[in-house]
Amino acid sequence: MLVERDKPKRYEGSPQRLRALMIGLLALYSILAFRLWDLQIIHGDKYAEASNENRLHFERLEAPRGIIYGRTEDVVLADTQPACDIMFVPADCREADRERVARRLAQLLAINAGDLLARIDQYRKKPFTQLPVKQNVSKTELARVEEYSFELPGVYTTVRPLRRYHYGEVAGQVLGYIGEINQEEIEARGQAFKMGDLIGRMGVEQMYDPILRGRDGQLCVVIYNQSEPQLRTDELGRPIVQTDSVGRRLHQELEFSRDPVPGKSLTLTIDIGLQAKCEELLGTERGAIVVLAADTGEVLAIASTPRYDPGVFVRTGYGHERKALLEARPSPMRNRAFQEHFAPGSIFKVAMAIGGLEEGVISEHSSFGCDGYFYLPGVGRPWKCWRYKYGGHGHPDVVDALAYSCDEYFYNVGIKLGIDNINKWAEMLGLGIVTGLDVPPGSEEKGLVPSTEWKKAEFAGAADPSERKWYPGETVNVSIGQGQVTVTPLQAAVMMAAVVNGGNRVRPYLNKSLGPDLTPLPISDQTLEIVTRGLRKCVEKTERPSAGTGIEARVPDIVVLGKTGTAQVVRFKHYDNEMDIPYEQRDHAWFVAAVPDEDPPIALCVFIEHGLHGSSAAAPLTKQVIEYFYSHLPADLRLAKAAEDGP
Amino acid sequence: MTQIARDLNLMDSHIRIVNWRNLRHLDWILVVLVGALAYMGLSNMYSASYGYEGAESTPHFARQALFLGIGTVVALIIVCIDYRFLVALAPLIYAAAILALLAVLMVGLTVKGGRSWFRVGTFGLQPSEFTKLATIFMLAWYLSRIGPRIRKFHYLFLAFAIAGVPSALIAAQSDMGTAITYVPVVFVMVFVAGCRKRHLAAIILLGASLVPLAWMQLEPYQRDRVKTFVDPTKAPDNEGYQIIQTKIAVGSGEMWGKGVGQGTQTHLRFLPEYRTDFIFSLLAEERGFVGGVILLALFAGFLIRGLVLSEECREPAGNLLAAGCVAILAFHVFVNVAITIHLMPITGLPLPFLSYGGSFYLTTMMCVGTMLSVNVRKGMFAEK
Repeated sequence: MLVERDKPKRYEGSPQRLRALMIGLLALYSILAFRLWDLQIIHGDKYAEASNENRLHFERLEAPRGIIYGRTEDVVLADTQPACDIMFVPADCREADRERVARRLAQLLAINAGDLLARIDQYRKKPFTQLPVKQNVSKTELARVEEYSFELPGVYTTVRPLRRYHYGEVAGQVLGYIGEINQEEIEARGQAFKMGDLIGRMGVEQMYDPILRGRDGQLCVVIYNQSEPQLRTDELGRPIVQTDSVGRRLHQELEFSRDPVPGKSLTLTIDIGLQAKCEELLGTERGAIVVLAADTGEVLAIASTPRYDPGVFVRTGYGHERKALLEARPSPMRNRAFQEHFAPGSIFKVAMAIGGLEEGVISEHSSFGCDGYFYLPGVGRPWKCWRYKYGGHGHPDVVDALAYSCDEYFYNVGIKLGIDNINKWAEMLGLGIVTGLDVPPGSEEKGLVPSTEWKKAEFAGAADPSERKWYPGETVNVSIGQGQVTVTPLQAAVMMAAVVNGGNRVRPYLNKSLGPDLTPLPISDQTLEIVTRGLRKCVEKTERPSAGTGIEARVPDIVVLGKTGTAQVVRFKHYDNEMDIPYEQRDHAWFVAAVPDEDPPIALCVFIEHGLHGSSAAAPLTKQVIEYFYSHLPADLRLAKAAEDGP
Repeated sequence: MTQIARDLNLMDSHIRIVNWRNLRHLDWILVVLVGALAYMGLSNMYSASYGYEGAESTPHFARQALFLGIGTVVALIIVCIDYRFLVALAPLIYAAAILALLAVLMVGLTVKGGRSWFRVGTFGLQPSEFTKLATIFMLAWYLSRIGPRIRKFHYLFLAFAIAGVPSALIAAQSDMGTAITYVPVVFVMVFVAGCRKRHLAAIILLGASLVPLAWMQLEPYQRDRVKTFVDPTKAPDNEGYQIIQTKIAVGSGEMWGKGVGQGTQTHLRFLPEYRTDFIFSLLAEERGFVGGVILLALFAGFLIRGLVLSEECREPAGNLLAAGCVAILAFHVFVNVAITIHLMPITGLPLPFLSYGGSFYLTTMMCVGTMLSVNVRKGMFAEK
């Protein structure tokens, strides 16, 4: 070894190999540079977005929802008011004081101190977390806490908007309620909605959701990994975020923050006093009362029982009540004025009379004999008039037939008109068709006035062609509002409005700013006059033995037109005493009425499900509704009337 | 010992072991490149320490500056010492290093699953860091002694054995990242020493054929690392999370970066370990593609300059020492950046000049000192 070293041979090294290493080094580092290009330039946007998703936290700033007024702005049906929650932030209270504070809070707010202390202990690692002590506290509780605030370190009040329905159950079904959107609804409504959004459910809240909702704002803060920003409200009730759950200061990113845009308010046609009266009159019965302004179609009242308080759906901690309401049968969530349809019984005769007169199958003086039994050729069993036991109605004309509700008269009218003419005139008057009331799409029931075409379509699949044929016997049933015909109480009120407003079909509406939408019908004034006489006699002919069926609806000093209806429910057994009939098999009681000469003229329908008789169950309620309405006219109508009467 | 004494005697009598005047002959290109890298490293650590909007500060910046200072002094001392003296002492240093590794294995502190620390005052010392350098000197000693005999396979094999012993001991500490750094060192040094390429190729083939066997020997967590590398979303909680967030940090830097101190991924704590093994992600996030490429270019320039110094040295031990130092630093840079940009599974290697850590900073500066020391003495072997 030593010998080798001593040789004066120069060490050459290995330049080629070192060059190769340099090239290899450059090649490897170029790979790194290309990869950086790929990540930062080609896919940079994607990662920048992911980085923003990491660091930006959005707090929703709920937009105040629009107010729902009654007929005037001094009647607030629903609005959004701040709800106060009491919060505790452990970090802002010395460890030694916490138990004392918890005990004091327990005393002031009637809560359990142990629970609160346990929760404080649970959040030991995140002491800046706001722990809710009590939500939606009352004004007195709030005042108490504020009074003692000097000895309550770490206790804060936060404010959040809460929907309030000031009249509770009254008009609850009309208003609907609000709730958090669910996954299906997001899919159905598209991108504008996200989880946590509050949307209107049912009634006006749902129908006018786009107007009422406004636009939520957002507060954008830059957050640290794995921390929860703490949203509080400042002295003015505005939401702010200052720290996260471990106390680090957070900054707002104004670029992505947005103020909420409040929703617009809405004025309804509902006269809340009348609505409350109608609901009170229905009491524990199942039923509906609809009162329309006859000239315009404004819905003055649309009561339905059983009912519900929408407030149950927006307040915290009412889970059981909510579940009970949703599961109750019959459902209080369904408005029986337009979401259920029933056989109309004799109130259908109003449409029959108008159709018959207009089609010329009867005239003012034509009469049919009524001995209590009506026979059709080829049918052995007769159709009875309801007065068959007393030998029928003799020879009534159209006025008397309406006043005394003669079935046999209208059997004859029906046979002469034929089912398709009946269908034409009933639908023209608004029966068996959607009225167009401004309620959420699909929530209004249509009912049914049958026709030959309907039967063909309905039984298209029937094996026996004879099942698709319309039989005269069926026409006889339909003529007195039985058989397949069904209507909603709202439709019945629309029909009555046409009788007193000169023959226009009104589109009933709840949103006052929609304005009237009238469809003129080809009905002569003479026809209307004749029918009006009949309906008036029904209420006003009090002399017995032949009194009108609607005399219970008579109101002193006010001209009332009315028509009773008692719709039979299928029974399999004869009962001697009608109170023995099981509830579910009792007849439905109807009373349709109109007040033509007062200002404003109104049309109404009172319906009591299984109420037995229109004359005894529904007519007296009608009287009370009319009396109440004209003695408690809402402010705006009173002013309008005064202005008209003035000159 | 007698051998060492003889080696020392061989040196020309007028050459001193320690010569402070050598500081006047430093390679300024290398010094400037090292200065630029140290500056980038420190400014990056400043951002890493002072955080987002000055929210908090940590002692990391000041400590890293101290490490740089200590490292610089040590590097300058190394420049003054004749490297041949150190090479002559290499067997002793090497033996001491091996003993230290064994000692750590017995009593060392456990840091993140690997036993690799001694605690000296408030600083932890990692013997495995200095063993890298000891091994380079040992290889230089051995390869310069055997000269052309490296072309025989059994001499080549012994070189691999010299690197293999510390590597195996470190692997036994479960520090796979550091253990594999010996592989490029030994390959580069035997390659520069002039071994047969076919021998190297055979070893590479043999190594490749042993991969499945090695896979079986890996601990479950090491296997998971490779699996997580293939699909980070499979383990989004731990290392998968690290990979995903690192990519987001690097990618979101885009062309110009978010600005120094503005790296949201790092400062808002979405990225763990951002001061040590993943510090490159902070640089890439805050200074973008431009900053990343500038850093890579500086590293490439520094390493190529190191190879040029190696080439200029007409003495085998110096030639090999410089090449070995370049190899180890080049490997650290490449692997660290490749891990950060998701080209390799996570192994845990620091980035020279940038990662926080005293032992490794010192090792880096010792490599720099060695390269400079080799260079200042090249004149002695030049053709007269």
